[in-house]
Amino acid sequence: MDNINVLIIEDTQEQSDALIKVLAENNYTITGVATNFTDALKLFYENTIDIIIIDVFLDGKPDGITFAESINIIPNASKPFVFLTSSQDRQIFERAKLTKPFSFLMKPFNELEILYAIEMAVEKFYAQTNVFMSEEQDTVISNDFLFIKKKNSLKKVAINDILYIEVEERYCNIITEKEKFVIQISLTKISNLLDKTKFVKTHRNTIVNRDKIEEIILADNLIILKGDHKINLSDTYKDFLKKMNILS
Amino acid sequence: MFLYDTMMTQKAHNFLLTFLFLPLFIFSQQEKGANYFEVAIQKKVRSLKSKNNFNKAQYFFFKEEWDSTLVYSMKQLNSNIDIETKQYCHYFRGYSLRKKGLYKQSSIEFGFINKSFQYYYLVDNNIGLLFYYEKKFNEAIIYFLKAEKEILENKDESEITDIYTNIGICYLHLNQYAKAESYLKKDVLLNPKQITKSVVRSNINIANFYYEQYKDLQAISYFKKAYKLSKNIKDFNLKQTTAFNMAVVEENRGDYKKALEYRKEAEDLKDSLNNQNKIWAVADFEKKFAVAQKQKQIKVLQVENKLKNTERNSLFFAAIGLLLILTGGVYLYGQKVKNAKTILLQKNKLDELNATKDQLFSIVSHDLRSSVNALKTSNSKLSATLETKNYDELNRLIIRNSTIANGAYSLLDNLLHWAMLQTKQLYFHKESIHLYSIIQQIEYNYKPLLLDKAITFENSVSKNIFIYVDLDSLKIVLRNLLDNAIKFSNENGKISFYTQETNPDFSDLIIQDNGIGMSHETIKELLTDSELLAKKSNSEIIGTGLGLQLCKQMIKKNSGTLNIESEINKGTKMILTFPKTRTNG
Repeated sequence: MDNINVLIIEDTQEQSDALIKVLAENNYTITGVATNFTDALKLFYENTIDIIIIDVFLDGKPDGITFAESINIIPNASKPFVFLTSSQDRQIFERAKLTKPFSFLMKPFNELEILYAIEMAVEKFYAQTNVFMSEEQDTVISNDFLFIKKKNSLKKVAINDILYIEVEERYCNIITEKEKFVIQISLTKISNLLDKTKFVKTHRNTIVNRDKIEEIILADNLIILKGDHKINLSDTYKDFLKKMNILS
Repeated sequence: MFLYDTMMTQKAHNFLLTFLFLPLFIFSQQEKGANYFEVAIQKKVRSLKSKNNFNKAQYFFFKEEWDSTLVYSMKQLNSNIDIETKQYCHYFRGYSLRKKGLYKQSSIEFGFINKSFQYYYLVDNNIGLLFYYEKKFNEAIIYFLKAEKEILENKDESEITDIYTNIGICYLHLNQYAKAESYLKKDVLLNPKQITKSVVRSNINIANFYYEQYKDLQAISYFKKAYKLSKNIKDFNLKQTTAFNMAVVEENRGDYKKALEYRKEAEDLKDSLNNQNKIWAVADFEKKFAVAQKQKQIKVLQVENKLKNTERNSLFFAAIGLLLILTGGVYLYGQKVKNAKTILLQKNKLDELNATKDQLFSIVSHDLRSSVNALKTSNSKLSATLETKNYDELNRLIIRNSTIANGAYSLLDNLLHWAMLQTKQLYFHKESIHLYSIIQQIEYNYKPLLLDKAITFENSVSKNIFIYVDLDSLKIVLRNLLDNAIKFSNENGKISFYTQETNPDFSDLIIQDNGIGMSHETIKELLTDSELLAKKSNSEIIGTGLGLQLCKQMIKKNSGTLNIESEINKGTKMILTFPKTRTNG
């Protein structure tokens, strides 16, 4: 599990310091703090960013919105973001609203509010609302990462690192090469959200990352994954083998 | 209907070289002579009622409008008709053409009529006249003689006279004096029954006849007779002719005195003729004048009518205009009343708003000012305490300062939001909100206050409740209510937030405290829906009422409701109802 990388765009140092303090305490990694539009773009493209916190007004100009607008035009480049604002000016909001998905946080805010806002932004961005706050689920799944809520913080796991997933009732055991942990999500949801060409069901409650398969021993109904993980292969789910390019 | 055949005769023994006008009168068709013919035609018309053209043709025929007669008789001829009607039509045409002097065409038309025609002798008579006009006296006589037989049978005197005259004159022209004499005599002999112009003329004719042959004695007797008879008729022309004839005769006899008398009489008659003509002319003129007058009157009447019409029209339009103005007036009056009502309502609202604004100012000037002032004095105290290095006191003061600052800040915040709500500038965006998290976030800010009063806080809101509201307004509401709850709680009190499910679409959030509570009157006052802020009670702790007013409006805007249950000294329950987020599966 990795920390979430946060880019802060904020021109008041006092406020960015406060933000950094709160986020660091909650295990977020601050990738950088930009104080103007140009720096923000530079930092955004140079680093791997998961979430951006944007102050609407930079030097008295609504450059924060301009930034959101510019990253929104580029397909697949955009990331979840939260607007920070102290003004409830209707005009600004009407403009900011166009940069969907749109979440904002009124200043002043406390620790809980910023954490909540970040979670909301992630939920809205990946269109999986009411996840982190509910008792049934704690993971949002994007194309590349699982965003998992751990206590007050968010963590991420690269989907490419996953070897296989084992489902036990409402929980899923995620096994990567390095670690093993439990997330809360139903099997149907996770199998719907994961790329079906990449993750295949090999058993009633097992989903395997095809890229990690090292060997399939049909005689023993066994799949051997990277790191010598052995998985059972059930007859019902053997169909996926037909689609594989088998090296003889 | 007469034709004058004026013959100028210069007598050989007329040594005085006087010109004697000897008119010979020939009769084409007497005006009254054809009465029975007219009756016959009327009969014919009645039998041919449907034949409109024939009717018109005969009408114009008797009216002597020859052109119209020609037109309608031709129309009648063009339609399919029986022979008798045809012959009548041809007769009309022949007669009309003769009258118009188109003798050849007339002769052709008469030629169309065959002998079966009942009044064929009239045709003969007409043809005879045509020949006479062309001076073909021999042929004329043949036709006249043909007609004579029939006319004699009919025994119409005037017709007989006419035919005798005509034949006589023709013979005269042919110089067959014996025959002429017999006819003219017959004519004269027939006449005396009634003295008419024709009688006079007959006498003149026979006199002329004798005079021509120098049979002066006989001539003179007839001239005299004509002269005498002429006294009984009104025709001045004839009178003058007879007198003039007498004058010439006397002159020729050498009796100049008498001749002069006759001349004079003739002159007089000429004058009276002229007079009569003048009278006629005057009468004619008068008639014309009268007609013109009438025409003028008609015109005047027309103009008057026109004027009346225009007057009536203008009256009508004026009435319509008035009606329109009236309705317009009524409408405008109604509109005015409506406007006045609206204005009154607006005025009341404005008054209310103005009062609110005044109250706002009083809040700003009093509460905010006192808060900031308290902070100021507290700060000076703080620096004084810093010099004495009394750290415990310092800490206490700092806490107090921050409390005051927090209070002032929340008051300011409320004021701002309230103002924005009133001016409709507040951004409002409903979304799905996790109620539990929000309450936690609100509570986070009040932790020091809760700790200060040793109040137990409990958030037992279900973690599965998502409500669909505007986040910031919800926060304002919760902040205010929690602030109130803390304010009105005793030390070691308890404040709890919990939910209740009464409606599947709504979620009830209850904020309960076991503080000082309030009376029913206060609750009623608080819940009264008014733009005005609740009147400040005497107690300092009651506050401005701005917070709750703001809460009410925010809740309303979020489609929620607010209810208060309270008992004095037992505590208060604030019951908020918000719509739940609709789960789409």
